[in-house]
Amino acid sequence: MSPEEISALLASAVRNATPLAFAALGGMFSERSGVINIGLEGMMLGSAFAGVAGAHFSGSTVIGLLVALAVGLLLGLLHAAATITFEADQIISGTAINLLAVGATGFLMVQLFGSGGTSPRIDRFASIAIPGLSDIPIIGPPFFNQSALVYLLYLLVPVCFYVLFRTPFGLRLRAVGEVPEALDVAGVSVVRMRYTGVGLSGMLAGLGGAFLSMSLLSAFTENMTGGRGFIALAALIFGRWSPVGAFAAAGLFGLAQAYVFSGPGLAIPQEFVEMFPYLLVIIALVGFGGRAIPPAALGKPYRPE
Amino acid sequence: MTAQLQAIGRALIFPAIAIILAFAVGAVVIVATGNNVIAAYGALLSGGFGSFQSLGRTIGNATPLIFTGLAVAVPFRAGLFNIGGEGQLFIGAIAGVAVGLLLPGPGPLVIIAAIVAAGLGGWLWGAIPGLLKVFGAHEVITTIMLNFVAINLAYWLARNPLAGEGLVPGTNFVPDPVRILRLSSGLGAAHYGFVLGIVAAIVAYLLIWRTTKGYEIRAVGLAPGAARYAGMSVAANGFLAIALGGMFAGFGGGLEALGTFGKVSVPFVSNLGFNGIGVALLGRNHPAGVVVGALFFGGLAAGAQQMQFATGVPLDLSDVLLAIVLLFVTATKLVELLIGRRARSLEAGTKLEGGLAG
Repeated sequence: MSPEEISALLASAVRNATPLAFAALGGMFSERSGVINIGLEGMMLGSAFAGVAGAHFSGSTVIGLLVALAVGLLLGLLHAAATITFEADQIISGTAINLLAVGATGFLMVQLFGSGGTSPRIDRFASIAIPGLSDIPIIGPPFFNQSALVYLLYLLVPVCFYVLFRTPFGLRLRAVGEVPEALDVAGVSVVRMRYTGVGLSGMLAGLGGAFLSMSLLSAFTENMTGGRGFIALAALIFGRWSPVGAFAAAGLFGLAQAYVFSGPGLAIPQEFVEMFPYLLVIIALVGFGGRAIPPAALGKPYRPE
Repeated sequence: MTAQLQAIGRALIFPAIAIILAFAVGAVVIVATGNNVIAAYGALLSGGFGSFQSLGRTIGNATPLIFTGLAVAVPFRAGLFNIGGEGQLFIGAIAGVAVGLLLPGPGPLVIIAAIVAAGLGGWLWGAIPGLLKVFGAHEVITTIMLNFVAINLAYWLARNPLAGEGLVPGTNFVPDPVRILRLSSGLGAAHYGFVLGIVAAIVAYLLIWRTTKGYEIRAVGLAPGAARYAGMSVAANGFLAIALGGMFAGFGGGLEALGTFGKVSVPFVSNLGFNGIGVALLGRNHPAGVVVGALFFGGLAAGAQQMQFATGVPLDLSDVLLAIVLLFVTATKLVELLIGRRARSLEAGTKLEGGLAG
């Protein structure tokens, strides 16, 4: 490969990895608090639509992003209310949110834009070259000539790490996903911690969705997430429920996707490259290279006796 | 008898509340978009069940959902959560079509071989998470991941070794004698797969409630500790149940490919496996309930088309309604709130209580 080709492949990898990494970080806050979130896909899709609708009707991309965040939060809180307050099954609620997002965005496409398919175009987040860093040969442009949302992600990874592992809030969040009884005894509200975790997960997944429709593309198309929420889930598990691990796994899976998109004449068929994240997760779960072990209370509703 | 009826009544509380809530929310949405609720729901009902044609669409939609519903309900009885119906269905579809295309011989024999291959493919794909469970990988995660492996594998087969000549990517159509027959010209695309679906539900019922093996499966699901103490193998019964679930989904995929479409195109169907989860939960993980749930889901999808045509309410509303049903169908506390007493005893284990770390 020529340096230009490597640079283009890496740029595509970063763009493909970004929505996965946002959603995987989101999944981390939910699952670390003990709530399984297979609704990431739906939260991404809902926010992808909301961002475009917000930007279209306000004329401002930034307002669009805020609307996307709000809808992500709303879907997160819906999952929280269903599973924490009403004790609905976490897997079922996640599946319901995925279905709800497909139905609601399809419905609103017809209501707001007259037909399904593709929304009107909006102004997307433009690429911003960071002076100096973007001039580094080969790796400069792919990493440092991207949209503001990519830089936000670079910022969020260490922030998430710090919050999760170096603050009292993070300690409580992790504890609530491992031994909720202990937190309850210590006077911390399990319910409030889990609502916070799941709400944050909705917002972060929402950022991932907004990146798809407002940065990677500049419009919403029906079902545009195309399973990325599930790849994010795979990145989260393969990254051992940690911010840096999830980010690295998202990067790896983004690179695989970039390889698929890089055109015909692939040495490995596209379908097999697309299987790769899912196969890696299965391998990680059965224990090759250090078994991936979920938070101890993941999936268990908390009922104080 | 009255005790039995009371038990059925109690079992229906969760689905009934979820459905009523969903339609109430739907009514608000319809009014908010400036449409008439009665006209919209009237069109929905008549589009689902109002004529032979609409009934045919409902039955056609329901057919694969009976199978993917059983794919969830049967493993559930052993305490396993099969989210892998989607992938098992794809493996069944491609296995069935491969046999239908490649096996020479008289039509009826090839059809039987193709359906068996579909079931076998699904069985094998369902057996993988059963096996992985022994190595400590939770089936919820492995079945989700295997869905996407299966879909990609099926698409690769359909685009490469089994690729057809047409412009649409995918396999060729199977020869006419290998197509599953339609039920009747008046019922549109509905085919005999529906009858096989009913048969499958009956077989599942007999298997789980009328055989020793089925008793073991239920015992392992309800009280794993006690079952182990009584000498039953939790792992072996779980493995059997999820492989059986995979088999049902595989049959569903094979029949959908050989009946409704006649081929596996790329893209093929979507969400039939995931919707099977909703069908099973609505049917309280009982085979009879699964059939009713599948007809409900199928009818809603069929009726939505007529609703959009007649009133302008987008047909996507049916997905929203199903999502709300799904959101509340396991909501214990909500039911307690509405009926004013403890409902935990009523759920009959509709949940993953043990967590993923297990």
